[in-house]
Amino acid sequence: MKEFEINLEQLSPDVTLIHIAGWLDAHTFEYMEQTINNLFDEGKVRLAVELSDVEYISSAGAGVFIGTLSASHERGGDIVLMNPTEPVQEVFDMLGLSQVFKFAASPQEALKALKK
Amino acid sequence: MSDSHVTDKLEVAAETRNLAVVREFLHSAIKRSLLPTGDANKVVLAVDEAVANTIQHGYEGMERGNVEILIDADDQSFRVRIRDNGISYDTATGSAAKAELDLQAHIASGNKRGLGLFIMRKVMDEVRYTSREGEVNELTLVKYIKVPG
Repeated sequence: MKEFEINLEQLSPDVTLIHIAGWLDAHTFEYMEQTINNLFDEGKVRLAVELSDVEYISSAGAGVFIGTLSASHERGGDIVLMNPTEPVQEVFDMLGLSQVFKFAASPQEALKALKK
Repeated sequence: MSDSHVTDKLEVAAETRNLAVVREFLHSAIKRSLLPTGDANKVVLAVDEAVANTIQHGYEGMERGNVEILIDADDQSFRVRIRDNGISYDTATGSAAKAELDLQAHIASGNKRGLGLFIMRKVMDEVRYTSREGEVNELTLVKYIKVPG
């Protein structure tokens, strides 16, 4: 499999689903960051991130979500994380991020959580 | 020397694309060691953070060199030394390490810096840094192996 891959899908007119797969580390985080910045530039500030195919995350990857959380709030948006894998959950727990982020188990739940 | 003694060495160019190579090398060494499976991912993460710091800060503004990762494990501990010839970057006792990270406030402010160091110190039992002018910088990370019972 590829080391890192991002796919975008419009869940609703104002909610974008970002499906990421592979390793989100100090090598790949800039690609993720750039993708999110591009979405913000397009005015897409309500984001759902599908994590079920993320095999590994380091602090550089977690840092992207931390930055996105505050940046989306500043723009009147929000971010919801979906289905973290065990290694991802472990890092989130270690950094206390599980209490900071909203989580959803399905696109429907994410849409509900991101409702204005 | 007992059968539980594992030593190994990897040298890679100081480029972030090699972090995946470092992680694979560690997983392989951990499998041969007595480190409990439950600690494997955490130790790989901590070393990944340390090597990433070395790559990102150790060769800032200078020609990139190599990073050397040496493993020495026995029935007492899993020890990893990370060596480079770059700028001295004191991960273990530098100013960022001295400040107790108020994680929630840190994250709430959108600050992403220092999380790698936080992870290293949270996961590992020892984090030590040695550097002398003109010599190799060395960061040592140690995880104690606790025998059940």
